[in-house]
Amino acid sequence: MAVPGSKSLRRSLTSLFISLTFLVLAVSGGLAFFRPFSLQIVGLHALMGFVFIGIVLMHVWNNRPQLKGYFRKRVAWLALAVSVSLTFMFFLQPKPIKAVLGLSENLGPAMDRFEMREDGMVYHYSPSPDYKMELKVKSGPSYDPDNPPQIAIWLENQGAFHIKTLRSPDKIDKKNLRYWAFKRRGWEEARKEAESEEKTDAISTPTPNGSFDPADYILPADSETSTPYQLLIEINQQDDAFGPHLDQPSLVYAVEIDNLRPVTFQLLELVGYPKREDEDGKEAWSLYFVDDGFESAVELIDSALLTIERK
Amino acid sequence: MSDQNRTDRRQFLQRSLLGTTGLGMAIASTSEVLAKSAPGEVEVGVTQEVDVLVVGGGTAGNIAAIQAGRAGVSTLLVERGAQLGGTTTTGGVAYPGLFDAWGKQIIAGIGWELVKECVELDGGSLPNFAKVPQRHWQNQIQVNLFLYAILAEEKCEQAGVAIAFHEFPESIAKTSTGWQVDCFGFGTRRRVLCKQIIDCTGGAEVVGMMGFPRLREDETQPGSMLFQLGEVNDPGRRQLHQLYVHGADSSNSRTVTRANLTGRKSILAKLRKEKKRLMHLQPETGFRESYRIVGETMITVNDYTSGRLFKDAVSNAFYPVDLHTKSGVKPKPLKPGTVPTIPLGALIPKGSRNILVAGRCVSSDRLANSGLRVQASCMGMGQAAGVAASLAAQNGTSPLEVPLTEIHKRLAEHGAIIPSKT
Repeated sequence: MAVPGSKSLRRSLTSLFISLTFLVLAVSGGLAFFRPFSLQIVGLHALMGFVFIGIVLMHVWNNRPQLKGYFRKRVAWLALAVSVSLTFMFFLQPKPIKAVLGLSENLGPAMDRFEMREDGMVYHYSPSPDYKMELKVKSGPSYDPDNPPQIAIWLENQGAFHIKTLRSPDKIDKKNLRYWAFKRRGWEEARKEAESEEKTDAISTPTPNGSFDPADYILPADSETSTPYQLLIEINQQDDAFGPHLDQPSLVYAVEIDNLRPVTFQLLELVGYPKREDEDGKEAWSLYFVDDGFESAVELIDSALLTIERK
Repeated sequence: MSDQNRTDRRQFLQRSLLGTTGLGMAIASTSEVLAKSAPGEVEVGVTQEVDVLVVGGGTAGNIAAIQAGRAGVSTLLVERGAQLGGTTTTGGVAYPGLFDAWGKQIIAGIGWELVKECVELDGGSLPNFAKVPQRHWQNQIQVNLFLYAILAEEKCEQAGVAIAFHEFPESIAKTSTGWQVDCFGFGTRRRVLCKQIIDCTGGAEVVGMMGFPRLREDETQPGSMLFQLGEVNDPGRRQLHQLYVHGADSSNSRTVTRANLTGRKSILAKLRKEKKRLMHLQPETGFRESYRIVGETMITVNDYTSGRLFKDAVSNAFYPVDLHTKSGVKPKPLKPGTVPTIPLGALIPKGSRNILVAGRCVSSDRLANSGLRVQASCMGMGQAAGVAASLAAQNGTSPLEVPLTEIHKRLAEHGAIIPSKT
């Protein structure tokens, strides 16, 4: 019996691996899309995906002469055009694509969906079938649907540390939502600093910072021991001059969510406006109570209603 | 030899020794006096007639006394310890608050004057109330506790308030014009005849002695023992280290003794474990809870969290509902714009005359009290009580009968902020 050559063995193994890993990826991918989130399924899919990439690279290498030939044919242009079109379409996600993604019970738009409407903005977040969050920001008199304001939505723990950004603004620049940007940027550093503090504050709270894992707040294993957290939005209309301001600062609204005393409907309250005041040469932002120096900025939104349905 | 003869000989010996010898002999004579006293026998060393007697020179008491003194009535302040300031100084919780809410100052007056002066003299810094605090306690004000105690004494002196340290009421009796209070101190007894009493003992001890009903939970919130391990104490700049003293109860000297022993034992254990030097230790546990009075008005947690503006409101308050338990505390912040108020009726024991309280024994349910008990709110109550007592003494009436407009007018004259809707 002839012993196959090493080249032949490599090709056979590559093909077999491709087939088998493809099978695992296809099944786990389908489950990940249609079934509720499972760390096992998503983890399997992601890690097997990396293995698959490696094997495909080997496969491409084994078949590079043939591939070169394919690229010389006219049909290569067709393949390229289709690939580029699909990439753009899936990245930009026009309505039909969103509708398809909306079928997903898992990661993607069903978990996290943001809509700009005539009457305001709506944000949906549903990391589990048992937990559906909706934030409805109703437009105010100065809201312009043709030039909507920038908005960021994020969560903070009891220590006022950023723990998760739910919605980033479309435009991130020096004029927009700098308080959120500061909070998010400083998160890792602040987390390490806070976690290294062992001091027990028996005067006010023994758990000053709480966990930094969003899951401990959003879907706590035990609501009895969970600590309250805050959902915040920062909203800004660019170049909205008023009084001394060439551009009125952004405004921050917030609401506290307490799993120990769960309620379905909560209104966000205006907290303040951010102001930069560096400490020891380091960038720092604080919130200030809103005064008479604001006009259209406080009329950007009528109200912000947070709805959380828990099963 | 008869008992009378024995007493006479001792008195003769005591007087002779005091008249002819120095300090050492005086100490000997003092023990002689204590040794001879028979149970129930009251030997008055000093008799003092004042308009207002303030019992307890803590957070609320020294403010009440200064206010009464400034209002022009003769005032005596009796304090069981050795300094003024109570929880702020003896307890070491030297970060009074909260004087502000939602970007505005809501408590001012004498308490604020004392805190501000202390910070300024110590070169410290005051918070900017226009800034949104990220955590509910961030606008507490760091004060130098040593300086605070001395400044409180100076302000009492300037207001004409007499201070009696190391004394406490032993018995109280009603008189036609007010009260006769017999106070006991080591080596001395003082009889005070006064028109009004302000009970600022924290646990409404005087109210209890008078037989008015008081409320107390079966299990009190933990207290805090403050200390400094390893690092040098930097008063007015940095908070001390602290640990819970579970079961801390300030109801009487026995329970206070127990709490202090427990707290110090815990610190010793911590010190041995961490192998660090003990750099500072407060002499007493900071207590959160003991007795509360049953007042003409009871502040409920709904009144508190809704910011009810009582018709007879005399002071503001601000802090989350902050009930400490064995497993810690989860403060429940007040809703934006909410500023609770304290009615005069909550400072007056139900059915009483010529007696007020100020401080954490204010008539309230437990949850409301967990927010009302903080220092700035107690200072506000102290000033209001000082005004009501001084007006009652001057008008020859009882605090509840003093027209509210007069109380508000005098409070405003002395810099206090009168509760209002805006």
